[in-house]
Amino acid sequence: MARLTDLPPAQAKRLAEAECPNFDMRPWVTGPALSRRRVAIVSSAGLFVRGEVPFRGRDADYRAIPSETQPDQLLTSHISVNFDRTGLQEDWNVVFPLDRLKELAGEGTVGSVAATHYSFMGASDPLEMEPHARQLASRLKNDRVDTVILAPV
Amino acid sequence: MGALGHYLEEEGIATVGISLIRPQTENTKPPRALWVPFELGRPFGPPADPGFQRRVLLAALRLLEHERGPVIIEDFPGDDPRAQPHSAWQPPVSATAAAKDARALAEGLEDGISRLEDSHRGWVEQNHRTTVGLSGLKISEAARYVAEWVRGKSPPSPREGYSAPLLMRFAVDDLKAFCLEAAAAGTARPSSRQLGDWFWEESAIGAALHALRERCLASEDERVKLIAGNFIVPAARVRITN
Repeated sequence: MARLTDLPPAQAKRLAEAECPNFDMRPWVTGPALSRRRVAIVSSAGLFVRGEVPFRGRDADYRAIPSETQPDQLLTSHISVNFDRTGLQEDWNVVFPLDRLKELAGEGTVGSVAATHYSFMGASDPLEMEPHARQLASRLKNDRVDTVILAPV
Repeated sequence: MGALGHYLEEEGIATVGISLIRPQTENTKPPRALWVPFELGRPFGPPADPGFQRRVLLAALRLLEHERGPVIIEDFPGDDPRAQPHSAWQPPVSATAAAKDARALAEGLEDGISRLEDSHRGWVEQNHRTTVGLSGLKISEAARYVAEWVRGKSPPSPREGYSAPLLMRFAVDDLKAFCLEAAAAGTARPSSRQLGDWFWEESAIGAALHALRERCLASEDERVKLIAGNFIVPAARVRITN
């Protein structure tokens, strides 16, 4: 329904040229072979587990999604209405590829899957997300995660 | 998303991101990104296609094996086969968008939801899940609540801790999810455009939501105006009215 080229020109331009923090540093973390990495998914789809607190407006914090979460427990409260949701409705792996990640770990392509995954709400201010992202890094390290796949919508 | 990658890398965690908007990724310059040509909302490609999703995920993870960087932005070599319309799909039988006045539009919304209940049950049996549930209301309650807004009222929120405008937005999201899931029940695999065309251009529920947007844009409550202007009807579906 909405590739960037399908949106009204003004909306497409706003998205393409969205203001982003200007970072002076260019961090670059390397690591072991993929087969030895522990991987977490961090989504910006405003995902949350049914029964937990949804994102309201442009909340800049995140929600935790345990690895044992079942597809019927995952909801989204993303504020934007300008991306397709029918893919997620049919198959959560379109947005949150936990089944695929578990398959890659099961066959040894990836070392292991994190105990918990996370979601932000991507329309939030990146500067307001920063303290939450840095706090999330501590949680990831406590779970021995060394690699994150970032999944937007 | 690029900013999140930057923060996590600074804290010592390697990241690789999917990019749906290449110019944005070029601006933020994350350490590693795989650009995909899919529609917004489908970063890993088509639903119910594990092989395709696996190729996307693996292509992204393989970027972690590059020894030189940053910045790495690669393009995924393939498009979403489900983006094409499915000729066998038929829109569900439901009330059509003929009503014009607020009362009739509200009734059409409630009736339309009621008519889709069997189809939605079929969807849940088929897929073992639903994404309806954001408002915490039963779907008939969500329909009744939104219908009140369509009628021109400003009903109080039935849920403690949720303002009325926020609950209206959540209930609208539930109605959309309910209708689109119901419309996709069955063996045909409609594209998102087919589903959107039916919902926003033909269905009574879509007609009521267009009217709700117009009505709320005239509100004196700035929160209601904000929600109406941005969070009910997709920008690509907004009707230009004089």
